[in-house]
Amino acid sequence: MDTDQAPFLTTSTQGIDMIEGDITLPSNRTNSNELSTLDEPVLDTIKRDLGAVLRKFGYAVVPRHSSTLLQQWDLWGPLILVTTLAILLQSNATKSSAGAQFAEVFTLMLIGSIAVTVNSQLLGGKISFFQSVCVLGYCLLPLLLSAFVNNILLYIPTKSTISILHIIRFLVVMAAYAWTMYASVQFLGKTQQPNRRMLVLYPIFLFYFLIAWLIILHAHPK
Amino acid sequence: MMFSNDGFLTDKTSSSNSGQTHVFTSFPNSAVDPDDEHFGNQSSDTDKLVLPLPATATDAKPEQSYVWQIEYYQKYFQIDTQQVLERLAASVTPRPNKSYFDSTIRQNPDLYGPFWVCITFIVTVGISGNIVNYFHLPDVEFQIDFSRITLSAILVCLYWWLMPTFIYFFFRWRLNRIEYTFLELLCLYGYSLAIFIPVSVLWIIPINWLQWTLTFIASLVSGSVLVVTFWPTINSDHKRLSAISMLVVLLAHLLMAVCIMFVFFHISDSNINPKSVTTLATTTLSSMSTLTATTTTTATITPKTA
Repeated sequence: MDTDQAPFLTTSTQGIDMIEGDITLPSNRTNSNELSTLDEPVLDTIKRDLGAVLRKFGYAVVPRHSSTLLQQWDLWGPLILVTTLAILLQSNATKSSAGAQFAEVFTLMLIGSIAVTVNSQLLGGKISFFQSVCVLGYCLLPLLLSAFVNNILLYIPTKSTISILHIIRFLVVMAAYAWTMYASVQFLGKTQQPNRRMLVLYPIFLFYFLIAWLIILHAHPK
Repeated sequence: MMFSNDGFLTDKTSSSNSGQTHVFTSFPNSAVDPDDEHFGNQSSDTDKLVLPLPATATDAKPEQSYVWQIEYYQKYFQIDTQQVLERLAASVTPRPNKSYFDSTIRQNPDLYGPFWVCITFIVTVGISGNIVNYFHLPDVEFQIDFSRITLSAILVCLYWWLMPTFIYFFFRWRLNRIEYTFLELLCLYGYSLAIFIPVSVLWIIPINWLQWTLTFIASLVSGSVLVVTFWPTINSDHKRLSAISMLVVLLAHLLMAVCIMFVFFHISDSNINPKSVTTLATTTLSSMSTLTATTTTTATITPKTA
């Protein structure tokens, strides 16, 4: 400490009462539950976490102004969604390429999230990588539903190259894509200044468009 | 003795001072770094020469940021939506008297536009190539061929990086001055690819002469923007050399477009084998790189003999 800084750091003693003693909290069952969740039954933990995941799905499907998705992010939802999507997009492939196909969706999801997050951070946004992965993953739910519908529709036999069924499938996936974009714009668009909002939203648009394109391309395993 | 709100030691007790929290807003003289005063004077003098940055540029003092931090690269992304749209529009309108380079890019070269234009180009080429495949091979199980997409991605990114490298070194060694920084050249070339994005969607239409016409027109328009930008600099050199180098720039642009068209879209007969198309593309790519290298070296060698 420099000697000329010492006078600035001495405090005045006017009007301060000295507090001394021990601080103890009364041992209360509810207090210790809030502090440590190690002792609770496993079922409670699962129910609480599952409830949080389901609530976040609800926020993603019906976009309300809520900061839960961003502040209490978790990666369960994205994991479930991407795994289900990868299983749904399996087509009649040989054994060697089936693994590669499964990994394609994961790779696309990972690289897309990295690109979107880095882009948002470079443009001055204040969002972290995991928050962005969380939001992008949860907003994928409408596209997953459209992949379900797609698979079901593919069971109807069709002969021509372009039939009304293809058009219906295309429209369903495009509608889900629009829904997904709307949801993620609500969450991720607000983290950026208005001058650069379109610059941040454009990579998200590309990312979801690629996933929608993968879903459209999926043909029925014969 | 009590601390007042602005941190000075006084004898009076301020009414709002709680006596327990001290906010230091001024520091003793020893805390001032003597180097900071020089910094402050310099920045105020050069402020008048710096052109205005976009509205969202941060005003914070530049802190020390390292290569592995995001903040180090943020200076290449100081750009607004409006500016990106302006640059995209200017990259397809060649104007001989007013260089859009000087009015837009030179103040603030960015990497956002070029990078995402390249990625969008690769994505649209991949998707359009898929659509073309779907219409011409209806019996085959329809899967995305990632090897072709990877090939086109490598081609486009190489073009985006190699041409500015060539031009930068050409200017540096031949003309002995650095008129354009590498970043500005990257920016130029990235935006010049923007016209190919709608063209790649139009390439789906399987009419032979239409595809060729589109290729020529698009590469001519964006190539002429490049030529117009470089012309004032290169005009100071020999006439023959400047003409040849501008021709090389145009030809490289055209060659890149033709390569993409051949790999994905060109349907001259209905029995195109995907494997033969890929080998054709790789041979064209290698010949393009050797062609560019040889024309650049001949362009540098011939004026010396002339």
